[in-house]
Amino acid sequence: MLDTLKTLCYLSGVSGAEDEVRDYILERVMPHADELFSDAMGNLIVFKKGAKTPERRLMLCAHMDEVGLIVTGYTDDGYLRFDCVGGIDRRVLIGKRVYAGADRLDGVIGIKAYHLVDRDEEERVPKVDELYIDIGCTDRQQAERTVCLGERCVFYDSIVEFGDGFLKAKAIDDRVGCAAMVKLIESELPCDAYFAFTTQEEVGTRGAKTAAYGVRPDVTLVLEGTTATDVPDIGEGKRICSAGDGVVIPFMDGGTLYDRQLYAVLTRIADENGIKHQTKRRIAGGTDAAAVQRSRAGVRTAAIACAVRNIHSPASVGKISEFEDLLRLARLFMEELARGDSD
Amino acid sequence: MDYAQLASELGSACGPSGYEDAAREKIAEYLSPYADEIKTDAMGNIIAMRRCGKQGARCLMLCAHMDEVGFVVTGHERGYLRFACLGGVDARMLPACEMRVLTPEPLYGVVDVMPVHALTKDEQGKPLPADKLFIDVGLSQEQAEQLVPPGTPVVYGGGVQRLGAEMLCGKAMDDRSCAAIIIKLMEALKGAELDMDLCCLISTQEELGTRGAVTGAYSVSPDWAIVLDVTHAETPDAPKHRTFKSGGGAAIGVGPNFNKRLTDAIIGTAKECGLEYQLEVISGNSGTDAWPIQVSRSGVAAALVSLPLKYMHSPVETLKISDAENIIELLTKFILRAGEVL
Repeated sequence: MLDTLKTLCYLSGVSGAEDEVRDYILERVMPHADELFSDAMGNLIVFKKGAKTPERRLMLCAHMDEVGLIVTGYTDDGYLRFDCVGGIDRRVLIGKRVYAGADRLDGVIGIKAYHLVDRDEEERVPKVDELYIDIGCTDRQQAERTVCLGERCVFYDSIVEFGDGFLKAKAIDDRVGCAAMVKLIESELPCDAYFAFTTQEEVGTRGAKTAAYGVRPDVTLVLEGTTATDVPDIGEGKRICSAGDGVVIPFMDGGTLYDRQLYAVLTRIADENGIKHQTKRRIAGGTDAAAVQRSRAGVRTAAIACAVRNIHSPASVGKISEFEDLLRLARLFMEELARGDSD
Repeated sequence: MDYAQLASELGSACGPSGYEDAAREKIAEYLSPYADEIKTDAMGNIIAMRRCGKQGARCLMLCAHMDEVGFVVTGHERGYLRFACLGGVDARMLPACEMRVLTPEPLYGVVDVMPVHALTKDEQGKPLPADKLFIDVGLSQEQAEQLVPPGTPVVYGGGVQRLGAEMLCGKAMDDRSCAAIIIKLMEALKGAELDMDLCCLISTQEELGTRGAVTGAYSVSPDWAIVLDVTHAETPDAPKHRTFKSGGGAAIGVGPNFNKRLTDAIIGTAKECGLEYQLEVISGNSGTDAWPIQVSRSGVAAALVSLPLKYMHSPVETLKISDAENIIELLTKFILRAGEVL
């Protein structure tokens, strides 16, 4: 699971340009799938038979895309102008390394020296359209030849295990969900399932909308990365969940009121199997569940997630044991469904 | 080893102000083959002397600082590290920044970010000062207290890399890039007959107010000093009139901090050798080691030669390799003829 996650985090897959991620997943799951197809949105949908065929069609769902940058222009002296794809707090961009374009050229988002910053400037964070990427080009023509408009840039990908069992990488949201689904597909399953590796979640759960329409599930389990709020200074009332406090089983977030029975089932089986879990203590964020739940005539939808610090930044951090627990809980949920007693 | 390799290796070593040990060791290793004597003083400065063997020879000192901006741990909260800055750091670049915590076995850390939803509309887009930021080392409070005592130094994570074909980018290029220039300069002068003693002062604590150079210059007591440091290179967001061209060659300091005769002699060498240079007019304190060196003992004739550097004091300080090579050539030629022109 951890090796798969690390490999997936390394790949580039900014929303709308998920090709690398999809190609890798395809290669991994191809030998194990009973059926697979890609739709017009670029979703990869895999069907695999299990020990049982449950009455209700099950879909698991994780998104392949990550937040990143898109090249929008050039300066005369050869720097790239860019915009954010997906929700990025621009404070995490300054002074960071990126890989620019399809060729993964080294680039940095610079900022003028502190010595040249006046007091007023120090009081505000530059807007995204004031920032630029330095790829070592010296004029516009050279930059234009090097990286095309619309090419995506991803955060630098140092992947580090550190501290008491933590992993730092970009794109843990939601390669953790993708990794868990790949591992499930590679194993014997307790019941038949569709696995939707979706696109464009970060720009508004776009891929999941068509994936759910195409699969027509009765029940869906979304696997996600969610915002951890562990920094000391945050007020208690603003804490959502913590990396290290267990797998997150949400009853509600900004986009979805999750199916109450499925929520109860998930918490029960987590308890029964000694899987540490928590719920979101504050209503924030959203997942593909919002698109899936209201697909066609409606889908009973639940989610499990890993709490990720600094989500949507170059330095997202999660607890390694919780990645494993996410996978375990997803499998237990499938077993429960196979037994047909999850009503 | 070529210049870029050497600068990368020196830049990757860790040496925040006051905790320069690892950087000092690396620099001394590369400098010692070119010195007759090499020592470290009470402030941690490296003083490397190359004698010319002539009776009553005068002394030209070359100076660059070994320290880099960094941080120091001041406390713990929920397992996170509180920290203060060592030197001038723009805290706006710290969120989600990778850090290396310099415990005996260095620890990896990242500066964690308050998620947007936890901020009021007013706070969004406002920078967080360093005292509201924390380094996440993935430890519990108890583990952190045990493993990372207050006073533990921290530097930016990451090393040095190429940016495109011609640029070098990484932490600590201020001022290891110039320490590397001095080493390459001494290498180029190896075996050459000189009319004066050459002394290399690789100073400490420059970023905290040019402190190492104060004692270093006192003990060397040179006649002349050429300080090598970095200056600001042009970037899209910086004022044109306060920055210099990357690729424009050495920026030579002009103003009250600098001896006119020494400065003019360096400029003269550049002109005669057809080497590109730019003038950096500084009306008072240059903010470099040249400032205390000039008034050391009964006074030292000082000059400043600077390498244009983008994004100074960030983890991605960026320079053009040809500028460093230009400075190596300029000062090699200058020193070879210094006996005649000074």
